[in-house]
Amino acid sequence: MLMKFRFNVLIIFLLMGTTSNVSLAQTDLGKWDWLLPDYAKLQFAGGIGFLSCGAGYTFVNHRIDASVFYGFVPKSFSVDELHSISIQFTAKLIRISLSENYQLLPLNFGWYLHHTFGDEYWVKLPPHYPPEYYWWSPGRNAGVFIGGELKTKWLASKIPASGIAVYVRAGTRGLYIASKFGNNSIPFSDIIELGFGIALYR
Amino acid sequence: MIWSMKTVLNIGFLLGLVLMVSCETAFDYSPYCIDFSGKDKDVNLKNIDRIIDHPANDTIQIAFTGDTHNFFDELGFFVEKVNTMDAVNFVIHVGDIADFGLPKQYLWGNSFLSQLKVPYLVTIGNHDLVGNGMEAYMEMYGPLNFSFIYQSYKFIFLNTNSLEFQYNGLVPDLLWLEQQLLPSNDFDSVVLVFHLPPGMGFDPNLEAGFYQTISKFNNVIVALHGHLHGFEMYYPTTDSIPYVDVYGVEYSMMTTIKIFNRQIYVDEIPF
Repeated sequence: MLMKFRFNVLIIFLLMGTTSNVSLAQTDLGKWDWLLPDYAKLQFAGGIGFLSCGAGYTFVNHRIDASVFYGFVPKSFSVDELHSISIQFTAKLIRISLSENYQLLPLNFGWYLHHTFGDEYWVKLPPHYPPEYYWWSPGRNAGVFIGGELKTKWLASKIPASGIAVYVRAGTRGLYIASKFGNNSIPFSDIIELGFGIALYR
Repeated sequence: MIWSMKTVLNIGFLLGLVLMVSCETAFDYSPYCIDFSGKDKDVNLKNIDRIIDHPANDTIQIAFTGDTHNFFDELGFFVEKVNTMDAVNFVIHVGDIADFGLPKQYLWGNSFLSQLKVPYLVTIGNHDLVGNGMEAYMEMYGPLNFSFIYQSYKFIFLNTNSLEFQYNGLVPDLLWLEQQLLPSNDFDSVVLVFHLPPGMGFDPNLEAGFYQTISKFNNVIVALHGHLHGFEMYYPTTDSIPYVDVYGVEYSMMTTIKIFNRQIYVDEIPF
């Protein structure tokens, strides 16, 4: 129970991305346990932010993950600061137990929806355009990725999590595929979104 | 597990490497990340300097392309062809270089155009403005309206993509255009370039004023645009200023103009 609570605080802490005091007053979290995410992630790149943090749940005997990420790109890396949310589903097809402390998931397939915030990143064609003037929406793109993950029990005794995992992923999104389509002159590597991150498991 | 000083230093070093990485690499941060390197900045301004530094003989020849959207291969073929045409002084792209307005598409388009031996200028198109495309255009090419004078001809590039600005009455900027057309000792004729001609997407309230302004000082010798992709030469006003719709790149045809003694000669060249 205490472990779960501490993990919850840790997740709130990660999601807030701030060092402000997290209120410890509410200790009665028992009945909300089912809401507690199964993991929290911190990711670099991968198309959904310079850094993004997320949390999610796992289903079907740990085969399917559903996650939500908040990502941002600071102004030092882009003309404008960018904020976005992505929802993603991952199917973890293969699990290899390497030892008591290590598990390898070499083939994860994912699908995501990436929503960038801001008026210019509309999802529905604004009313001043005639119908179907533009067929895509800059505010919401779908993409796919493949990845691999190494689950470990590093630091399991030191922090309120059952283990830490490191993962890598390579993806692309519909708009990039549409740009590459029919263009041999565009290198395939140009449409790849590489990313990596760490995950803390409950 | 206790992390040694060495491990911490190594992690710090790796993190440092990561932080130096920009969003132009495969470590993509966002499709809207604009972080262009120097060669992809202020391209129009730099190329205007290059044009002015190389005076033409008595004839100026310009090769046009545009509406390149996702036809990157075709844009490459256009560049190859122009590089074999010694008489061309510079190239003008009439807009829609970035189909979805994505910074990545600006980079792709510019990676082809930058292989031209001659200077090139890129006009703002409506597709280029979707998302944060306007910021990307300004970062890569410069102001949306711009002009320069070359051998007594003034070249004016005008943003006519009214619908992208919700028909706010300021696009195209007719006051700016009139100021630019105002006769001076520095030029005697004007070549006007824009992306979107009057019609769908052009502010209907500015259409009459647009034609009137262009005809006002009797100094515009040709108006060239894109958006419609096909090639056409037409005369929408009574003073018979030729308007030229230049070929979209997907036709594997380019439109060229020769300017000699205030006269315009339009040509079509396959590639």
